[in-house]
Amino acid sequence: MAISLRESVEIGLADIKTRKIRTAVTVLGIVLGVMSIMVVLAIINGMNKSTMRWMEERGGLNKIEVRPNWDMDYRQWRQANFSFNELKLIRSLIPEAKAFNPVVSANRYPLQKGGISFQTTIKGVYPDMTITDEWDVQTGRFINYYDINNYHNVIVLGSTAAKELFDNKNPIGEYVVLQNNVLQVIGIMETKYLKMQGGWGDDNALEYMNKQAFVPLTTMFKKTTLDQAVSQLEIKANSPEEAIELRKKVQNIILNLKQGKKLFDVRSAKEQMDEMQQNARIFTTIFVLIAVVSLLVGGIVIMNIMLASVRERTREIGVRLAIGARRMDIFIQFMVQTILITTLGGVIGIILGYAILNLVGKYLDMELAASLSMVYAAIFVSVGVGLLFGITPAVRASNLDPVIALRNE
Amino acid sequence: MPLIETVDIIKDYDMGKVKVRALNGVNLSIEKGEFVAIMGPSGSGKSTLMHIIGCLDSPTEGSYILDSTKVSELRKSELASIRNKEVGFVFQTFNLLPHLNVLKNVELPLMYAGMKFQARAKQAREVLDSVGLSDRLKHKPSELSGGQRQRVAIARAIVNNPSILLADEPTGNLDTQAGSDILSIFSELHAQGHTVIIVTHDMNVANRANRIIKIIDGKIVDGDLAA
Repeated sequence: MAISLRESVEIGLADIKTRKIRTAVTVLGIVLGVMSIMVVLAIINGMNKSTMRWMEERGGLNKIEVRPNWDMDYRQWRQANFSFNELKLIRSLIPEAKAFNPVVSANRYPLQKGGISFQTTIKGVYPDMTITDEWDVQTGRFINYYDINNYHNVIVLGSTAAKELFDNKNPIGEYVVLQNNVLQVIGIMETKYLKMQGGWGDDNALEYMNKQAFVPLTTMFKKTTLDQAVSQLEIKANSPEEAIELRKKVQNIILNLKQGKKLFDVRSAKEQMDEMQQNARIFTTIFVLIAVVSLLVGGIVIMNIMLASVRERTREIGVRLAIGARRMDIFIQFMVQTILITTLGGVIGIILGYAILNLVGKYLDMELAASLSMVYAAIFVSVGVGLLFGITPAVRASNLDPVIALRNE
Repeated sequence: MPLIETVDIIKDYDMGKVKVRALNGVNLSIEKGEFVAIMGPSGSGKSTLMHIIGCLDSPTEGSYILDSTKVSELRKSELASIRNKEVGFVFQTFNLLPHLNVLKNVELPLMYAGMKFQARAKQAREVLDSVGLSDRLKHKPSELSGGQRQRVAIARAIVNNPSILLADEPTGNLDTQAGSDILSIFSELHAQGHTVIIVTHDMNVANRANRIIKIIDGKIVDGDLAA
C-alpha cells in the first residue's frame, strides 16, 4: 500500500513553502502559457460573439443578399440591375423563400421639413423588409402592398432621422419633402444599437441604419429621379441550412437570367459567418500553438528543476527508502510535487489572465468572453504538463539505489 | 533457529572497470535478543554487512535468512516493508529530514506503514517521550544538539517496534557524554528485548555488547560463535 495522496500533497506543499523563490521561477513558464491561452481564447470568443450579434442585428443567419459583383468590368455595371419582370420571375421561382425584398438606395440625399434638411440614405423597399432584416417599426406602421401598388407618397423614418427632423414631436402623420414630393410619415423604425468594438463610450456600430428612411419601391421609381435600378435583393429563408440551398438556387437563376455573366454576388449570412469563423479558427490555432510551445518550454524548465531537486534531495530519498518507503511512494511524491507546481502555475495564470482581460476590456472597450470551460481547460492543461514532465524526475528519484543515495553528501 | 543467518555471503561492487569485493564469504548467525557489535577497520566491509542485514542492499552471492524468510528471494516492495517494520536504522550522521520537525520525522515510518494521521502522531509522541524529547516535538533538527538529534533518530528507528535495531557508528559524531547517553538507550532497548547490532570501530562502544564480531577484508575473523 502506497502512502496516501494527502501525504504526498503535504510533502509537496511543505517543499514549495521552503523553496518559494525557486518555485516562483519554476512556474513562470506555465503562468505565461496559461495566461496567454486564456487571453487569446477570450478575445477570439468575444470577437466571434460580437460578429454573431452584428449578423443577427442585420437580419440573422437566414438572410441572403444579392449585390453587384465588385470584380466586374465597369462597362457591365449598367447591366447589373433587375427589371420588374425579372423581379417577378425570380420571386415566382423561389416560392420557398419566406420573404423577398428588392432594394434601391440613394445615398446622401436630403430630406426636408420646414427649414430643416437632413442628409440621409433613402431606400426604396418592399413590405417584406421587416422580415428580411428582422426590423420593424416602433410606432406607426411599415410600408404595405397597398402603398406599393398605388405609389403612395409615404415614408418610414429611422429613429435618428425622425429625431433630426422632428425633434421630440410625434412625426406620425406629418410631412417631409423629398425632391418635389411631399411624403407623409407613417412610421418610425425601432432604434438599432450595437456597441462599437474598440469604440468610445456609447458609439453605435449600427447608427447608419437609424439615419435611413424608407419609401415604397414603386413610389421611388415613379415619382423621384433618384436611382432607378434595382441592384440589390434581400431574401429570407426559413433556416440557415435552407439559406445555403436557396443561395445556390438564386445564384443559378440570376446567372441564367443574365446569360451567364457574373454580374451579381449572392451570399448567405450563414456562409459568411462560417467563413469568418473559419478565419478566426486559423487565428485561434496559431495562438494556441504559440501558447502550447510556451507551455512545453515551461514544462522542460520544470523538468530540469525537478531533476536538480532530485539530485539535491538524493540523501533524503535514501533516508526515506531506509525507513520503509517503497519506490512507488517516492515516485508518487515527486510526481505529485511536479503536478502541484504546474497546477499552482495554472491557477496563477488564470488569475493573471482574468486581470489582463479586465484591463484590456476596460481600456479598449472590447467584448471579451472568458468562460468557465476555459478555466477547466487551463487547469487540465497545467496538470497535463505536470504529468508529462514529472515522469522523468519521478522515475529517476524512485530508481535510486538506497545505499548509494544514503552515501550522497 | 537464529533470527539472522547469512550463508557464504559475497558482495561485489562494480567500480567502473574494477570489481571490489566488499564481503568475501560471510557466515554469521545472530539470535533474537542479542546485543552484537560488528567491529573492523574502515573499508573492512562492516557497513556493507549492516546494509545487507538491514535489507538496504542485497548480496551478490550467498543467502540471507531473516526470521526464517529467504530475503534474497523477496521483491523490492517486500524489502521496503521489512525495512519499515522489522528493522530500525540509526546512522552516524543522524539522517533526519531537515525541513520536518521532530514529531514529523518520527512519524515518517508510520506514514509509510500506512497508519492513520492521528494514531501515528500519538505513537510518535509516546516514543519521543521514552527517549526524553517530549518537549522538543515542534523543533527542527537544526535546533537540537547532536545527542538530541541521535535520540530523535533512535525514536524514528524504534517507532514501528522493529525486532532488529541497526546502528552504524551511532556515537561517531557525538561527544563522550552524549555518546554514553545514547549507548545507555541502546542497552535499555536491548533489555526490553530488541535485537541490537552496532557497527563501530570504537572498543568502548563495542564493550557494551554481549558479543563482538570482528571483520577484516570482507571476512569474519573472530566472534561468529553463536552465543
